[in-house]
Amino acid sequence: MSITTLIVIGLVAAVLLIWFIAVFNSLVALRVRVQNAWADIDVQLKRRHDLIPNLVGAVQGYMTHERSTLEAVTNARTKAVASSNGTVADRAQAESALSGALSNLFAVAEQYPQLRAVESVKLLQEQLTSTENRIAFARQFYNDEVMKFNTAQATFPRNLFAGMFGFSQATMFAAEETERANVQMKL
Amino acid sequence: MNANTTAAPMIGPRDRESFFEAQRRNRRATWRLSTVAVIATIVMGIPLALTITPLLYAAALIIADIVSIWAPLPPSFWQHANELARYGVVAIEWLGQGKATNPQALALGAAVLLLPGAILSVGLWLGVNALFRRAGVGGALLALKAREPNQSELKELQLADVVQEMAIAAGLPAPKIMLIDAPAANAAAIGTSPNDARIVVSRGLLEQLNRDELEGALAHLVASIGNGDLRIAFRVTSVFETCGLLVAVINAPFGRRSRGTLWRIVRYGLFGKKDSETSAQEAAAMAALLTRSAGLDTDDIDDVFDTTSQKKSIFRSIRTFLLFPIFFTNMAIKLSLWFFSFSMLVPSMALLWRKRKYLADASAVQLTRNPDGLAEALRKLNSDRGPIPGGAWAAHLFLVNPAGSDRMNDPKANAAQQQMWAQVWAASEASKTSNSSPPDPPDLPSVMKQITATGSAAMAGDANAMARMTAFRQAAATALGKSVDEMPNLADIAAAQHGDAAALRRLQEFGAKSRGTQSAQSADESSNGSSNFAGFFPSLKRRLKRLDRMGAHVELESDGGKSWIVIAVLSILLGPFALAALALLLLLIAIMVMASLAFLAVWMAFIHELFIVLLHH
Repeated sequence: MSITTLIVIGLVAAVLLIWFIAVFNSLVALRVRVQNAWADIDVQLKRRHDLIPNLVGAVQGYMTHERSTLEAVTNARTKAVASSNGTVADRAQAESALSGALSNLFAVAEQYPQLRAVESVKLLQEQLTSTENRIAFARQFYNDEVMKFNTAQATFPRNLFAGMFGFSQATMFAAEETERANVQMKL
Repeated sequence: MNANTTAAPMIGPRDRESFFEAQRRNRRATWRLSTVAVIATIVMGIPLALTITPLLYAAALIIADIVSIWAPLPPSFWQHANELARYGVVAIEWLGQGKATNPQALALGAAVLLLPGAILSVGLWLGVNALFRRAGVGGALLALKAREPNQSELKELQLADVVQEMAIAAGLPAPKIMLIDAPAANAAAIGTSPNDARIVVSRGLLEQLNRDELEGALAHLVASIGNGDLRIAFRVTSVFETCGLLVAVINAPFGRRSRGTLWRIVRYGLFGKKDSETSAQEAAAMAALLTRSAGLDTDDIDDVFDTTSQKKSIFRSIRTFLLFPIFFTNMAIKLSLWFFSFSMLVPSMALLWRKRKYLADASAVQLTRNPDGLAEALRKLNSDRGPIPGGAWAAHLFLVNPAGSDRMNDPKANAAQQQMWAQVWAASEASKTSNSSPPDPPDLPSVMKQITATGSAAMAGDANAMARMTAFRQAAATALGKSVDEMPNLADIAAAQHGDAAALRRLQEFGAKSRGTQSAQSADESSNGSSNFAGFFPSLKRRLKRLDRMGAHVELESDGGKSWIVIAVLSILLGPFALAALALLLLLIAIMVMASLAFLAVWMAFIHELFIVLLHH
């Protein structure tokens, strides 16, 4: 072998190595983003847990006839808080149940005009609406990031060694069956 | 959706586009157009470098002459200088006559003529970048009396929440919100990067939009921050600021204004407090000064040569004679700045910025998944926009163009306005005749005709019509929520026409008052700054069309494509003239540049000889 062939082989190897490093790093960056997005959902769920006692306290006086609705919300919250350290599936179920109980509460609250006139309740309701939105948007962001991550892994030629590097497809945060059922109940 | 608009039904399937596709398309366009903008900047740099370089040589020569009074420079220095000059002459000959004797000498000559000026310009640009980096873009808006949103007020809490939601949807740190208590409805994103971005919102925006629309509007701004528009805006403005700085540096020996500007910049660079709001404001004020000094308006140097306003004296004539070549240089620089920026730089940058707006719109749809919210927000803001105080120098950062006219008349808004006038007209009639029958459903065109007819009758002296118009005026004032004095008074106008001095005075007072309320806000809008950014906004119609393709339900006015025919015919007719004018202007610039070169060369030779003569005697 002459010197030139050696140099050519060395150059090709160097280019390949750099490319490998770049691919690996981009995949790692995408994975970190996915993990971050997941943590963001967590933050918003926690925020919702913290807000609910305030809401229940504020509306209790006006909704004396709706004890069951209020209790359902409180119970669902307790369960959701308890499941914070459980499996993802458990959690998703508890949180969806909480969403359902809350939307139920809002639907019932519509029947109390004097409640809708109270400024502090309006503010609380806006905060809860916003929290629901935040959870939805955090979920949307998470799903977008998962899509990017999964697409990056699945496209040629990265699909050849994404598994070799130890990357696996992330799962989307889909709306749970229970949540869908709740939405239908509300209608 | 009301049925008053004359929207043509869409025929056939719409060409849909997903927001991801739209984003990709606009990102590609950004790359293309930034290349064009960079090329335009370089092309503009050539005549500038050609005019600045001789000035540098002149300064260097004078310094060398002065130094050699005390410490004679070695003869080899003068030899090298001569050689350089010879190369320059080769390049000039090539420029003038088109004959290239020796390509190597030509290249060297070009380098001799271009490099020093180019290096100076690039150096100034880097300096401007380093200096204003802290301030970012839109620092002027910081000077406003902005406040944080009040969390215990529903609308403002909503604003804070929506910004948080959009930041979450975009995966960005939440930008700070600044609320301005201005009636105009608009919003802007300012700052240097996603980490220190702020969103400026006027209180009028909150009154105008519902939650979905607010979400769309803020999604546009957050997406714009996330797409890195702040950095692009900073680059775009830095080019204009560099031009201004160049003019200021050249004018510095001649006038107080330029020296003041320069001193302010130096002081800021040396002692400016870092990372404080005042420093950002100061930077914005200086940026405004610089952009203005790049304009064509009169300058320090013109004052020096303005002999009519000064006493004649021998000293002044000598000075005028000595400085005469600089005048040509200044003119050449200003002319080429003006010409190239208006023919190439501003259009390419405006197009680039429009693409960024479309991109932000598409990204906003990605964030909200609700194109209707943004579309409806844009439509509402377009029909009710107004100047935001202090917004002139950051006009391009706003959601919709805060100043300037948009060609699209909003059919909905017009119809709504006419409806309102018709109702007021009917109401004022009912109150006058006090009959209880409800007014007929207003037939808009005929009512508008009736109003104008009564108005002209009143002007002609019909007392009945005048009484009618007075009642109308009162009703309109109550409908608009203003006091009667704020409405124009037809009786006064009629009386003034017949020579009533008191009425005339009242009219003048009225005019002054209404101007006063407006000019307080729009003083900075009318200055030449905002016109720079007039073309930086895509028209509402095009934005709506693109949103429509991403799934928004907007009613688009169809113009039947007639305007295209008119434009095509006009461009065919006027095209040759425009080309001729362009060629003439280019020729004029070339003449100016050559004149500046020639005069400066003669001037340099003269001063050099003067020194030699002085030294030898």
